[in-house]
Amino acid sequence: MSDYKVIGHSVQKLDAVEKVLGVAKYAADIQFPGMIYGKTLRSKVAHGVLLSVDTGKAKALPGVVSVLTGDDIPGSNSSGIIIKDEPVLVKNGQKIRKIGDPIALVAAETEEIAEQALRLIEVKVDELPAVFDPVAAMKDDAPKIYEKGNVLAVRKIRRGDVEKAFAECAVIVEQDYQTQMAEHAYIEPEAGVAKLDGDIVTVWVCTQNPHYDAKEIARNLNIGLNRVRVIQATTGGGFGGKLDVSVQVHLGLLAVATRRPVKMIYSRHESIANSVKRHPFIMKLKSGSDANGKLLAFEASIIGDTGAYASYGPGTLTRSAVHVMGPYEVPNVKVDAYTVYTNNPQAGAMRGFGVPQVAFAHESQMDILAEKLGVSPLKIRLINALRPGSFTGTGTELKDSVGIVETLEAATAGAKKTMELNW
Amino acid sequence: MKKRGIGMASMWYGIGNTGLPNPAGAYVDLLDDGTVLVLTGCADIGQGSTTALAQIAAEELGVKIGDVRVVSADTGVTPDAGASSASRQTYISGNAVRMAAQQAKSVIVEAAAEALGVGVADIVAADRMLTVRTQSDKSKDLVDCQAECQIALGLTPGTDAKSISIVDCIAKCRAKGKLSLGHGWFNPDTTGLDMETGQGRPYATYAYATQVVEVEVDTETGVVDVIQIVAAHDVGKAIHPQNVEGQIEGGCAIGLGYALMEEVQVKQGNVATANFTTYVLPTSLDVPPIQSIIVEDPAVTGPFGAKGVGEPALIPTAAAIANAVYNAVGVRITDLPITADKVLAKLQLQG
Amino acid sequence: MSKRMIKFVLNGKPIELEVEPELLFVDLLRERLGLTGTKVGCGEGDCGACTVLVDGKNVNSCLMLAVKADGHDIVTVEGLGDYDKLHPLQEAFIAEGAVQCGFCTPGMLLSAKSLLDVNPHPKREEISRHISGNLCRCTGYTKIVNAIEKVACQGGGEDRE
Repeated sequence: MSDYKVIGHSVQKLDAVEKVLGVAKYAADIQFPGMIYGKTLRSKVAHGVLLSVDTGKAKALPGVVSVLTGDDIPGSNSSGIIIKDEPVLVKNGQKIRKIGDPIALVAAETEEIAEQALRLIEVKVDELPAVFDPVAAMKDDAPKIYEKGNVLAVRKIRRGDVEKAFAECAVIVEQDYQTQMAEHAYIEPEAGVAKLDGDIVTVWVCTQNPHYDAKEIARNLNIGLNRVRVIQATTGGGFGGKLDVSVQVHLGLLAVATRRPVKMIYSRHESIANSVKRHPFIMKLKSGSDANGKLLAFEASIIGDTGAYASYGPGTLTRSAVHVMGPYEVPNVKVDAYTVYTNNPQAGAMRGFGVPQVAFAHESQMDILAEKLGVSPLKIRLINALRPGSFTGTGTELKDSVGIVETLEAATAGAKKTMELNW
Repeated sequence: MKKRGIGMASMWYGIGNTGLPNPAGAYVDLLDDGTVLVLTGCADIGQGSTTALAQIAAEELGVKIGDVRVVSADTGVTPDAGASSASRQTYISGNAVRMAAQQAKSVIVEAAAEALGVGVADIVAADRMLTVRTQSDKSKDLVDCQAECQIALGLTPGTDAKSISIVDCIAKCRAKGKLSLGHGWFNPDTTGLDMETGQGRPYATYAYATQVVEVEVDTETGVVDVIQIVAAHDVGKAIHPQNVEGQIEGGCAIGLGYALMEEVQVKQGNVATANFTTYVLPTSLDVPPIQSIIVEDPAVTGPFGAKGVGEPALIPTAAAIANAVYNAVGVRITDLPITADKVLAKLQLQG
Repeated sequence: MSKRMIKFVLNGKPIELEVEPELLFVDLLRERLGLTGTKVGCGEGDCGACTVLVDGKNVNSCLMLAVKADGHDIVTVEGLGDYDKLHPLQEAFIAEGAVQCGFCTPGMLLSAKSLLDVNPHPKREEISRHISGNLCRCTGYTKIVNAIEKVACQGGGEDRE
């Protein structure tokens, strides 16, 4: 297996030379003659109904090429990776669900004029009571962000009989955990350029999924997918935060409306304020083992605040539910994971996808359990680690490539070289 | 007083989307001069997928890495590879590229087998050559028979006839009007999860990791400093070890920020930390020495055994730091981030 | 507002042009001169992606007015090396795997150069301190510091000429 000629060799990265020379083209670096600049007007209220958008003064400003509202979208006016719940531009009479919801687009000869025009757009909103706490949002009397209620999804894992198993446990550890909202903070803020080539809409953009972007553009422009071409520009990091659409659909709308090349670049503020976030979690974990430390039962409830829109929320909570017991074999498992809407910024994919949150919890549990049993952190993990032939909480038999024990041993051996490790 | 402590944390991570189809496609074109064009929808966001996919194509086709050019993430010309998310591209697009390369290769291997008078199964590709597999595992009769066939075909039996360059093979194919193109697509073997029980097969393979972290806690201020990190990651097979290390080191840094300093503050729905002065990222001064250990427990279904590492890299870090803080000062923080204020408040409660 | 004539040396070549008094130097570079190697990550001096050298010192060009370039010697990433001859730092960044997304790379290279030009053999801690104003979200800095250290061990980053 070791006689590969290329695999396993650290060859020079194919994009490295262009990047060190500064010639790699990120979206913000792309220029076309006659290019105009797009900016987004966003909601300042967290929950409400849009009553009116008056663009008259903005349109009259010299240098403004186009001002678009929700009424100008030929297609579905929606986006979203799992559920199409996010408006491209909130329309009159439609709901605003978070601060930052896009309401209008401006394209102008310069960025400064576009920004000036944004300030001339008059928006009237009928404000509604908002809810920012996911536990409060789950209650019956909470303000309803969606007709169907604020609990978007519940993922259950049921295996064995936890009640019976906990009754047989020698040691039980029960603990609440919380994790914060986090930001991807890729150093390149969102940016893109769109241009018409005949009847083809071409969009260069920083993205983690150009084919998804193309579908969202096509549906909202109401044109064939074969008339949209999304080209990933060199992308300055993503970490999950460039999976959702940012400028993509807005650029397509402005390019079609103006028939001119158009560029949008988010400021750092606009990027952090409006991009998806890592879900904050509220977790309750209960782990039980026999007197030797073998896990017999595991129970968890997880509440993930997905904010105003689904994004990757249900996928994140499903992954959390599957992983929350950790890389350990537990015969009896009960997990409930709730994806809950609030009027907060939407949470979506971020490197780890719900697992860093639950790992903080399940690994704290393992150490607490080890201390109660008087065994080392290494030993409690080795006793319970998944191995070939183990079954996971989802009832999946693991057959090959189950390297957890090897990583436990390798990390311990590595640590012993430079740390005073007594286990 | 400053007190040191050591903490350990492990993780597992299913590669690809959870219990959902998430295929990737790829095209491979073996060009007239023996160079290779790979078309993939996979978006490289800095993690190095383009390089890894080129390596997979080069290895499969037996060409040099410099012979391969990858055109990626352009919906006008490349097939859908899905998202660069879920640590899935090395595994899923890697398989797709490998399958596309195998299909393109099969055209020239057929030509080589014919030219060398052997079966297609006897041909291996390496060093820009298609070569007859070493004879050691064949019977003498078979070797003799092969030599006879070669003579019958007007070839010289012996070392010269045991290999043919890829370029010559391509020329033979073109002379017959054959193009050496391949396409491939791969979808991991999963099932959906039952809505009531969650039972099913959500992923085809999993990555695993363990990290050990040493911290120093200042008992006067509650400030936690990370002194060193040891990170052992089972990636199946490291296609590009340096890039795997890069993923581990970068992941540890994000994990450290998540553990100790990063928090988006939201006030009545308004993000109050929308700049790098208030949303503080780890700098070069915050990230300690990191010892990356690559563990290779190959996945049967992975391209050359590879799984993934992008997300696993950061998953255990915050947990290991939390456990190290407890080990240092006996304070267990159960809500992230582990700020100095929280540590100090719990230290004071301890008395 | 009246424009002002400024003269400066950019990547070894004299430049003379008229600029608006409020124009930022990074915009002059990127928009007017087409030198897009200098990146904008935050526009507030927090991230260092826009780092250029002004008389050898690393400066955030997003906080610098273009008129302030008058009379100075400026180096951007475009002045560091080219396809035919990479700067030793550029070579080391590639060899050590210090480049992932690459967005911080131009600024990081110039910060590194500003250190090695005055202190050709810095300690690892000095390197970390010197680049602490340049944020990188991909690499965890380890391989970036390795690359700079490699050049320092090879004799520093003195100009090749």
